[in-house]
Amino acid sequence: MTDEFSLAGKNALVIGASNSLGRAAAVALAEAGANVGVTTSTRLQREEVAANSCANEIWALNRKGFAQAIDAADEADVRAAIERAVLEFGKLDVLVNAQDLPFAKPLTEITPAEWRRVLDVNLTGVYLACRAAGERMLSQEYGRVINIASVLGERGMANGAAYCAAQAGVLNMTRALALEWARRGVTVNAIGAGWTAGMGIIGGDEGRQALERYLPYKRLAKPEEIAGAVVYLASDAAAYLTGQVIWIEGGALSHV
Amino acid sequence: MPILDKLRLDGRVAIMTGAGRGLGRAMALALAEAGTDLVATARTQLQIEETAVLVRERGRRCLPVVCDVTDSGSVNAMVEAALAEYGRIDILVNNAGGITPGFANSLTDISDQTWRTGIDTNLTGAMYCSRAVIPHMVKQASGKIINVTSGFGLRAGRDNFMYTTAKAGLINFTRSLSLTYGPAIQANLVAPGLFPHDDPAMSEWWKGGKYTPMGRLGRDEELGPLCVFLASDLTSYMNGQIIVLDGGGLAGGHAPTGFAPVVPLAEEEGRGK
Repeated sequence: MTDEFSLAGKNALVIGASNSLGRAAAVALAEAGANVGVTTSTRLQREEVAANSCANEIWALNRKGFAQAIDAADEADVRAAIERAVLEFGKLDVLVNAQDLPFAKPLTEITPAEWRRVLDVNLTGVYLACRAAGERMLSQEYGRVINIASVLGERGMANGAAYCAAQAGVLNMTRALALEWARRGVTVNAIGAGWTAGMGIIGGDEGRQALERYLPYKRLAKPEEIAGAVVYLASDAAAYLTGQVIWIEGGALSHV
Repeated sequence: MPILDKLRLDGRVAIMTGAGRGLGRAMALALAEAGTDLVATARTQLQIEETAVLVRERGRRCLPVVCDVTDSGSVNAMVEAALAEYGRIDILVNNAGGITPGFANSLTDISDQTWRTGIDTNLTGAMYCSRAVIPHMVKQASGKIINVTSGFGLRAGRDNFMYTTAKAGLINFTRSLSLTYGPAIQANLVAPGLFPHDDPAMSEWWKGGKYTPMGRLGRDEELGPLCVFLASDLTSYMNGQIIVLDGGGLAGGHAPTGFAPVVPLAEEEGRGK
């Protein structure tokens, strides 16, 4: 039965493996057998360090991999990362969009440039990656696109208008794109991640403690608790699953 | 532990209701392949005996128990039999359900009894089974409940009252289970789309999946890995959630009626320029 979940021989690219969710997704894909290239979300040096560290972990699992510093909102950067995956692996089967630019500010203080930047990385970046990878996947009539979004795509948060708008955009773009590619061998799904340790939107210890009081699970998600669904969606076991959001959120969306 | 090993369910015990055919049998066999011993229940003895043979062929134990989930006495006896055989229950899949007599009646033609049968079969039965199993899961401080809802639990249907109401009720019943007994116990749902269960008449009725975005109907065995995934340790932070397996049906239009809007492309209409 576990054979159906194996990703041996598959090749994946994770955009934004510099954050905790993207990294856990990349490592899980590699553990399940895939070769995995990873990128940053932005060109910050600490992101590059994190992406390289992730690639080391992939190599330690005896898979092929690489790390590339990109700005996930830059079309040429994103295209270059996808072309590199094709060059190094010969083929791209799985795209994980985990790019993330955390941002919280009262709406009246958000500048138009900030608004655009948050939407550019978190939403337009998904479009750019889907577009570039989609050309490959449609021509080979096989592909798995997995967009990692947040509970903030389904519920609002004060000071979160820009981030929430982007996350909701990712969820409904997922549904639309799934329908577009449904008969062409490419599935498109999203994971609605709960509040996950290490993600920037949590905003430090104070935010974490407030969430721990509020969440039914009384704790944040560990990144690897989200990553199992990435493997499931990437595998042949989920061939009939498309246009859906799998929520892994410790009850955050269930309670009043 | 490598991630694929976390999908192994060796040494665990699962109860599958509606295990005699279709999705229930497919999920039971997938669980058996992942390592669980089974309790296979349904109303028809011959069918669960067949399922039991198939489970045993996969090297696992199987206890077939005839049970009517709409009768709480029958449910309680089934759970007692399961505990007597195995001493534990790790996984409960509330799969029993389906259309009941008068399922397509107009509202004014639904008798009190017709209504109750529809709701009991598709909602109350899952409550009876969960109520009987929960104390043992609480004692073990672990457990997985997987409830089978439907696209009709998320969207409505014309002249479809009992089934849609019960399946929608099952969703919120599951959420309340998850909040009450989580995080130790996880309760989630699967919502299969159009699965004809190898019945040519059903395939024909749904036009072979012509109106499903993916262009085909579901195959029973495709639900198996999803059931294993939800029964496994990979979903420890997932509670009260639904996974829809429907070839894209609910992402857009309503599959069986052919209503799936596709607007003209930009160059034809001059939009988006």
